Amino acid sequence: MKYLRVLILALSALSATGCIEIIDDLTLNMDGTGTFKYNINLSSSKVKINSILALDSLDGKRVPSIGEIKQKINRLNEQLKSESGISNVSLTADYTNYVFKFSCDFASLAELQSAIKTIALSENSGKAIPELDHKWLIFSGTQLNRSVPEITIKKSKEIKSADRLLLKEGSYTSITRFELEIVKFDNDQAKVSANKKAIMLRTDPYSLTQNPSQLDNTIYLKKSE
Amino acid sequence: MKIVLTIISLLAFIGVNAQQSEDLVPQEAASVFSINNINLLQKVSLDQLVQYEFMEEVQQELFDGSTSGKTIKDSGIDFDQKLNIFMGQADDYLVSGMTFGIVNKDQLFEVFDDFEPIESNYEGVEFYSSYFNRIAIKGNLGILYRVLPTGNRVDDLTDSIWYAQGNGYQWDDRYYEDEYYYDEEYEGWTREESLIEFTEEMETEENTTTPIDEEDNLPEAADDPTIKTYYELRDSVEMTLQNEFMNAFCENIFVKGNVLTKSSPEFKNQLNSQSEGTFFIDNSKNLKTNHDFAFMIRKYPSLYDRINELYTGNTMSGEIHINDNSIDMNLETKYSEKLGSVYKEMTNSKFDKSVLKYIPEDNQSFFTYNVDLRKAYQEAFNVILPIFTESESREFSTLGLTIELLDEFMNKDALFDSYKGSMFGSFNGIKKVQTTKIIWDYDDETFDYIEKEVGAEEDMPIFVFGFSTDRHDIPEKIMKHLCKHMNTFHNMGDYYMVDNAILNASPLYIINKNGLFIYTNDESLAKNNSDGYGKNAISKKQVKKGMKGGAVYLHADLSKAIAELPKEIFNGREKEMIDVFRGKSGSLELSSSKSTKSGTSFNLSYQFEGEYDNSGTYILDLINSMYVISK
Repeated sequence: MKYLRVLILALSALSATGCIEIIDDLTLNMDGTGTFKYNINLSSSKVKINSILALDSLDGKRVPSIGEIKQKINRLNEQLKSESGISNVSLTADYTNYVFKFSCDFASLAELQSAIKTIALSENSGKAIPELDHKWLIFSGTQLNRSVPEITIKKSKEIKSADRLLLKEGSYTSITRFELEIVKFDNDQAKVSANKKAIMLRTDPYSLTQNPSQLDNTIYLKKSE
Repeated sequence: MKIVLTIISLLAFIGVNAQQSEDLVPQEAASVFSINNINLLQKVSLDQLVQYEFMEEVQQELFDGSTSGKTIKDSGIDFDQKLNIFMGQADDYLVSGMTFGIVNKDQLFEVFDDFEPIESNYEGVEFYSSYFNRIAIKGNLGILYRVLPTGNRVDDLTDSIWYAQGNGYQWDDRYYEDEYYYDEEYEGWTREESLIEFTEEMETEENTTTPIDEEDNLPEAADDPTIKTYYELRDSVEMTLQNEFMNAFCENIFVKGNVLTKSSPEFKNQLNSQSEGTFFIDNSKNLKTNHDFAFMIRKYPSLYDRINELYTGNTMSGEIHINDNSIDMNLETKYSEKLGSVYKEMTNSKFDKSVLKYIPEDNQSFFTYNVDLRKAYQEAFNVILPIFTESESREFSTLGLTIELLDEFMNKDALFDSYKGSMFGSFNGIKKVQTTKIIWDYDDETFDYIEKEVGAEEDMPIFVFGFSTDRHDIPEKIMKHLCKHMNTFHNMGDYYMVDNAILNASPLYIINKNGLFIYTNDESLAKNNSDGYGKNAISKKQVKKGMKGGAVYLHADLSKAIAELPKEIFNGREKEMIDVFRGKSGSLELSSSKSTKSGTSFNLSYQFEGEYDNSGTYILDLINSMYVISK
């Protein structure tokens, strides 16, 4: 019976395609404060995730239990709450559909980037990560330069090529919202909302690993009166 | 004429008495894997060969570039002799290695270039030593071996000397409080991560001027160089014992002639096989050298003797035949008459034909397991229970009494009619099943988004698994109770349904009828075919061997089934087995004979289409699989 279970789990782990949906959603106020949201939706692959979670190990690495994942998420939550300039931290996880939603308010983009850097360093046992020095959000009042953090590019290159192909099934959506209307933007793949106060860029995670700069954008805002 | 007769007699004498490589296999060997036709291996590169686990003992010497670009043909090994890989254990030491014929000693030592000649105490035998292993050469035969004292023996002797010297308890309890002590549960870390971090931190300390804390928990050298610490003493004991056991090992082979061909008629008999490869595993030796029984041997010798008697003669021997379009492995298991009587009764059962209608014709693999647990229980009760009840041990005797009382009070008819022991299963491929998923629906005006649950499909392996029962009423009682008290269980009339039981995503269906209790995630079987697949079920002809044979029958279409198994989830040992068949289209069939009081035969047959490029790798794959299983 044990082997039958293993067989079913094994086949499930292989057969289901990897399908991940990510939204990063930045709301930027004129005074430099704002809200950052990061949502991950794995509900299309819940059979696969359940089968992986039921295994002891995958590809020679131990598979964490739901309890361990919860512990980790709670710890990240607590760490973020203690970061300077970061408030209203919320991290919710739906373990039935595997939808994870993170949200926080920030006092400035510099403090948001600094908090993320601190967390990343802490997860890397305090060892330096040069890619974290890269400023991926620069706001001048009427102009926002947005790019993908270099650490993301570095990490994506560590994904095995066979696994990277599975990311073609997913989607990555980047949304930036402002109080003022958008007058111009550099990335011609971007789409502006009807109210002209939000701009969206979409791709699939695979393309993003191949060409991380495809979500780079400089957005110009209408000057306030 | 006299001279001619003398020469013929002499040649015949030499022919009969000429030693073969198998004559150097030590009597301590519990497992021996012989490649009889090593001509098959001519195309195999040495680099490829040393990757196999059965070569692990010599990997340290061969992974140094000495095998680069060479095949076995270049190694000086005699292709007219067998290559025998062995491992085993005596009371106090472990042995492993291989024996082979030699045609060119110079070539041999080009491959084994780390070995240096050492002094020999045995006439006609040359010895060569490397850091890990030794090679002994007698005439044109070679044995590469490693002898290691068992950890228990080394510990016992070291402790005796240590305490006799007036020393105290040697283990420092602080070790277990060390922050780096491996704890699998600790924040989800793995042993590897912990070790890497530990090592890195050590390196950091070494590279700075920060002195290592004097109270750090590391073994310290004794102040007086003539006095050894516990660890130094243990190393010395280990080395002394190793030399002592190595001498005993060589004395056995080269002086006393105590080799396996003499001590085991079964092994000697198997050497006559004309197959490409053979294996021989003496399980009774493994029992004798198992240190878990050490306490029982000392405290309850007669109990141990009776258990030992039960396992005496417990061997497995097999042959591997490589044919044009098939590879066959025949396995014979032998056991004592007492144990055999239990197996014989267990497999003395009629094949349950009712399972056939629940195995679809287009399955990718299926198995049937046909036993009579009632008969097996009764025979085991008669054979094994007296070992406990007549034991001098109060604990085992009490256990025996408990079993006797349970036997008296238990309704065995109800138990063994509910679960007769026979079962079956089939894997019917991957099918789409209905699930749900979350999507984010965007508002074009603001790009705000809301969550929506929508229907989805995911791939799921479809299986059927069931066991034979004559008492439907008993599982029925359990199912009705579950349906009444658990809202995920539903009585659907012909079947039961359990919501999201499979990977929290799709239902499990339970069918309790026609002499079977069945679990499946095949919705159409439960809803439309709860009496079986009808004309789409497998035919009797396809299971002929299973119906006529013994307990086990398995059939797999490898091109469909094995190819879909994800390699990542298996550990090294399981991968070895699976990799034998991966990427090789064909079918696999495992069948067994009815058990007798002395043994059972198993046959594993792999039929494939087309030709193979290098049959040597097949035989190495199979030998390696048997090696890792027997370890």
